[in-house]
Amino acid sequence: MQQEPVVRIEGVSKKISSKTLIHNLTLHIPAGQVFGFLGPNGAGKTTTIRMMVGLMSITEGDIFVGGHSVKNEFEQAIAQVGAIVENPEMYKFMSGYQNLLHYARMMPNISKERIHEVVELVGLQKRIHDKVRTYSLGMRQRLGVAQALLHRPKLLVLDEPTNGLDPQGIRELRDYLRHLSRIEGITVFVSSHLLSEMELMCDTVAVIQNGKLVDVRQLKGQGEESLAVPIAFDVDDLAQAARIVPGGKVEDNVFIVQTVREEIAEINARLVQAGVKVFGINKVTRSLEDQFLEMTGSESIE
Amino acid sequence: MLSILALLSIGVPILLSLENNATKQSVWDSFMMSTSFVFFLNTIFAVVIAAESVAGEFSWGTIKLLLIRPWSRSKILASKYIATLLFSILSTVLLAALSFFTSLLIYSTDTIPSMVPPGIGAGKYVFLSLVCSYVDLFITVAIAFMLSTVFRSGGLSIGLSLFIMFTKGIFTMIFNPEKYTWANYLLFNHMDLSRYLVTNQGPGGATIGFSISILAVYYLILMAVTWVVFKKRDVAA
Ligand SMILES: Nc1ncnc2c1ncn2[C@@H]1O[C@H](COP(=O)(O)OP(=O)(O)O)[C@@H](O)[C@H]1O
Ligand SMILES: [Mg+2]
Repeated sequence: MQQEPVVRIEGVSKKISSKTLIHNLTLHIPAGQVFGFLGPNGAGKTTTIRMMVGLMSITEGDIFVGGHSVKNEFEQAIAQVGAIVENPEMYKFMSGYQNLLHYARMMPNISKERIHEVVELVGLQKRIHDKVRTYSLGMRQRLGVAQALLHRPKLLVLDEPTNGLDPQGIRELRDYLRHLSRIEGITVFVSSHLLSEMELMCDTVAVIQNGKLVDVRQLKGQGEESLAVPIAFDVDDLAQAARIVPGGKVEDNVFIVQTVREEIAEINARLVQAGVKVFGINKVTRSLEDQFLEMTGSESIE
Repeated sequence: MLSILALLSIGVPILLSLENNATKQSVWDSFMMSTSFVFFLNTIFAVVIAAESVAGEFSWGTIKLLLIRPWSRSKILASKYIATLLFSILSTVLLAALSFFTSLLIYSTDTIPSMVPPGIGAGKYVFLSLVCSYVDLFITVAIAFMLSTVFRSGGLSIGLSLFIMFTKGIFTMIFNPEKYTWANYLLFNHMDLSRYLVTNQGPGGATIGFSISILAVYYLILMAVTWVVFKKRDVAA
């Protein structure tokens, strides 16, 4: 039996005056994944996230978190969510620890131990008693994540968390998001306009453009072995190869066959037996970037 | 803030005693002067807190983290409002208590107070004056709280509320209820209830019941606007 998705976005639209920012968006976020939300600037990522966490009203449709409607059962729905929407803003005149204590008091049953636990998880032990105004952006980002995790949410929502982080910071963020999803079983919903990042950290990516869902794609996981993927053979005689292996095509000086993993060795053997020299065999991975540009490239931002 | 109020409440009776022949003056006169003076600051502080409580969260950006706690917006706003009121009650009690005890130490309890009208107990009169001042503060704070929620700017709501606080006397002169009947329904003409301590006739021949009703209606409108705006607002950027 398939598990109930953590979040169900059902036919959601957002209109501000006469402008429609989100068009009839339907999206289900499965439990336990790092789920990416990808789109160029102005696509409507932040708007969608704001509706998910109740900062903006939903014009049409509804969003359910753990089965609770954000519109009608806000308190139950939001209790399962930890989030940072855009920049991680905290009370600058208080220390990181005081900020966490402040938020902890607003939620039921959060012990001092839990606060220490999340501080350790995001690696802020050394600076947690310093004033937030002395923090770098990366540290504020960590404090934001700590704040979001205090109440052990089922879902962690991060809006463009890598914005402004250096490569080292991005790498660390990626690592502990993976950790959260693998070890703690938290579902992570993360938005970004950077494709390369999404490829590295997400299991699934939903692509949004101009307020419309363009595509949902699995990046990792099941079915990879049995799926026919394009394989490129670098050979000396392309024409000969095409004759030996029907169904292949020649492209950019390589011979490409759509095939499953098991067949690759066999095709290679046939080529070699027929006297074709094989210099290399590669999986043709169209990067998400290519796919993304393919999907969104033709349309301009409205 | 509380310490400034405390210092003034102690300081004003002492400073006044340097001017006059303290032991001959009444405790109640000193208390009246001290509280009415320090109450201005009390109101200003309460207004600042009311104005910053909501607008501050918006300007710091922390409103986003606040609103995603497992509480409805009404409850969050109510807790802000109650916290503001608790501060104003605490500060009022503090200034009254300190003014009273400082005056008691310096001044005479036997002299007949000159600021208390005849026919009413001095203690009762100063207590009721203080209550009237608090009603004034209470309404001013409600205005500040509403402006803070509607405009999300602490500075603007502090400025406007204090403007109203200091100019309501002038408003009463311009829109005189003796001249215009509709001016009877203006909030400004009813915020100062203390005149009913000495007379039954309010501005434009109003009764105390009428003034209180006007205040209640305005208060409910202020609160309703505050709540509706806060609940409906889309929080962006
Ligand atoms: N409060 C608002 N009023 C009107 N338009 C808005 C508002 N907020 C965002 N928009 C518009 O909605 C679109 C989506 O914005 P946003 O969700 O912030 O995009 P993203 O986060 O994907 O970059 C943009 O075209 C933006 O100009
Ligand atoms: Mg955005």
